[in-house]
Amino acid sequence: MRSPETAAVRGAPLRPLFVKEFREILSGRALWIVLLLVCPLVGYSFFQAVSLYAESSAAALDQPVLARSLSPLDGVLVPTFGAFYVAVTLLFPFVAIRALGQEKESGALRVLVQLPYRSPVLIGAKLAAVLGAWLLCSIPVLSALAIWRLLGGHLSPAETSNLLLGHLLYGILVGAIALFAAAIADSAATAAIIALAFTIGSWVLDFTLAGRPGIFAWLSQLSLTQTLHAFEQGLMSAGLVLGIIAAFSGFAALAAVWLPPGVALRAKLLRSVACVAAAAAIFAAASQLRLAIDVTADQRNSFPPSDQRALAALTKPLTATVHLAPEDPRYVDLQRAVFSKLARVVPDLTVELAGPQSFAASGGDEHYGEIEYVYGARRDVSRSTSPREILPLIYGLAEVPMPQPGAGDEFPGYPLVANGYWALPWFFGALPLLIVMAWWWTRRPIGPTLTSNFEGGKP
Amino acid sequence: MDGSKPPISAIDGSIPFDAEHSHLDDSARAERRSGLLQVAVLTKRYGDQPALADIAFEVNAGEVLGVIGPNGAGKTTLLEAVAGLLPVDAGDIAWCGSPLRLARRREVMFYLPDGIRPYQDQPVARVLQFFAGVHRRSADHVADTVAALGLAPVLAKRVQALSKGYNRRLLLALALIAPQPLVLMDEPFDGFDLRQVRAIAGVLRREAANGRALVLAIHQLNDAERVCDRFILLSGGRVCGAGALDQLRARTGLPTATLEELFLALT
Repeated sequence: MRSPETAAVRGAPLRPLFVKEFREILSGRALWIVLLLVCPLVGYSFFQAVSLYAESSAAALDQPVLARSLSPLDGVLVPTFGAFYVAVTLLFPFVAIRALGQEKESGALRVLVQLPYRSPVLIGAKLAAVLGAWLLCSIPVLSALAIWRLLGGHLSPAETSNLLLGHLLYGILVGAIALFAAAIADSAATAAIIALAFTIGSWVLDFTLAGRPGIFAWLSQLSLTQTLHAFEQGLMSAGLVLGIIAAFSGFAALAAVWLPPGVALRAKLLRSVACVAAAAAIFAAASQLRLAIDVTADQRNSFPPSDQRALAALTKPLTATVHLAPEDPRYVDLQRAVFSKLARVVPDLTVELAGPQSFAASGGDEHYGEIEYVYGARRDVSRSTSPREILPLIYGLAEVPMPQPGAGDEFPGYPLVANGYWALPWFFGALPLLIVMAWWWTRRPIGPTLTSNFEGGKP
Repeated sequence: MDGSKPPISAIDGSIPFDAEHSHLDDSARAERRSGLLQVAVLTKRYGDQPALADIAFEVNAGEVLGVIGPNGAGKTTLLEAVAGLLPVDAGDIAWCGSPLRLARRREVMFYLPDGIRPYQDQPVARVLQFFAGVHRRSADHVADTVAALGLAPVLAKRVQALSKGYNRRLLLALALIAPQPLVLMDEPFDGFDLRQVRAIAGVLRREAANGRALVLAIHQLNDAERVCDRFILLSGGRVCGAGALDQLRARTGLPTATLEELFLALT
């Protein structure tokens, strides 16, 4: 007779679960339709980017100064990946929702949660399948990179890898949000509304709150679109990467909390609070991480190497007190051109905002527009937002000589006059055809080997 | 069904249904009547509406327990609550005398819901392969289950293309592949005709003879009488009677009554 103790479940192999999840996501129409839609989106963006880049390059071929402003990262990669970003934001949630929503709607979830896997393992397997789906969806954009190389274009491995990493993290984040939405919603349609509320809501946050002071500025930082900005600028920020990992881990954990149908609502809410608190703690830690590597070929996020070396050698604290409103364009310029670069190289930098909370309230303040720099016991004041004036001021405060520009520091630029027309048949014809063929291949009948394994048993 | 009726001989099993009932002597039956699952004061409300009220019962190893009641009696709610798929307001569930936490329910019991069609885009063989892989079941074990339930003709078909009867067979196969010593099944005979019910009942009796406990929620009393050892009569979320057929007859004073007559007398 079967013993109740020995028959108890003691763990299970993970492979069947992962294989099942990949098969499920491959067998759905959503993935293939999204893939087919990504092809023309990415293809047309790539074609337009290459055409515009060629026009700019034609003028720059004879003028090295103009050529220095031609970077494939800005000219081709970011616009091409931009189309992919739109597809991932608006369409990819439907693919990810299916990974869980289908099982909810068919009732299979009630069987799934009885399998010998913990909820985080079930969600982890689904997230892995979603990652696989994202990789498939990225085929058009990866093929655009290959075509760019075939056209003779330059690709910086560091820039390209960094941009890919950013989009990968963003894709996983969107996937985790979609899984969370599917876990809390009763139907796939409701889950889609919730997921799109996050993604499209981020755009609204960006448009309405960006550049505004105080709590609005902090809220706008929560926008999903913010996740890609640094990567598009060629920065690999450890804090940002950790923050995105914390965000998608948090959503995945919330999905795992809300997955089991038998847990009382109060218990789910308490566990959710714990998940949010843990994610917030990691966010807080991530925001303190200042490690950010400039991976761009033109080092646009850094001062020239000679200045970098001189600034890194500053031993005392440097404080900048800014008498500007947060939304003042001069403050935005200062942040972009000076402070963000200083923050990554000066060992001890503090930037304080001492201006009014709004630009409208700045009238009558005679110090408005001043930036006071203090290094050790010495201080100086400037109204400039240009590093050409600010860096000499800092060197003067620190009593170090102005560094001489090194030879070969100049970025040469990568102009390329190429014809992107012949990429169009690939994106509008050959690639969609290959995708349809792959779709058809996944729908083929199973071979006799599998069925014969299960035939001929003793009744 | 999808046109091709499965051969009855294929799903009938090697042990005839009637023989299943009689193949154990009284001492063997008594030996295997060890209490596996104990349920006490199980209560579930939807707002002010009680769905289950102070339900208590026990399940023994190797028995087939029928949860009997009309539609809306609370049968599904009871099974889902016991399986841990539905939060309850009160109740104690114990396994072999020890409290059974929610997280451990799936280790000892498998609940087969009614009306589900899992993994519709996958062929039947893939679904079986997945469950066999998860539970480390051999291909021979799956093949025996396929043969017992007559699933061989549809192994290559996608689940969405299965008839109601074959979908039910697939679900039963998943329950038979699962290793847990207690299986809860919601309407296991739904979608079967009389011959098929008798055949599937034989398969389930054989499973019980191997020591597995089965709890079947059935609204067709004839089917329940055919396969179950004991019964819980449920009406309006309350237990109206419990016991073997003879015990229920003695309690009602109807010595020759059918289960249907007993149910009408007790509810």
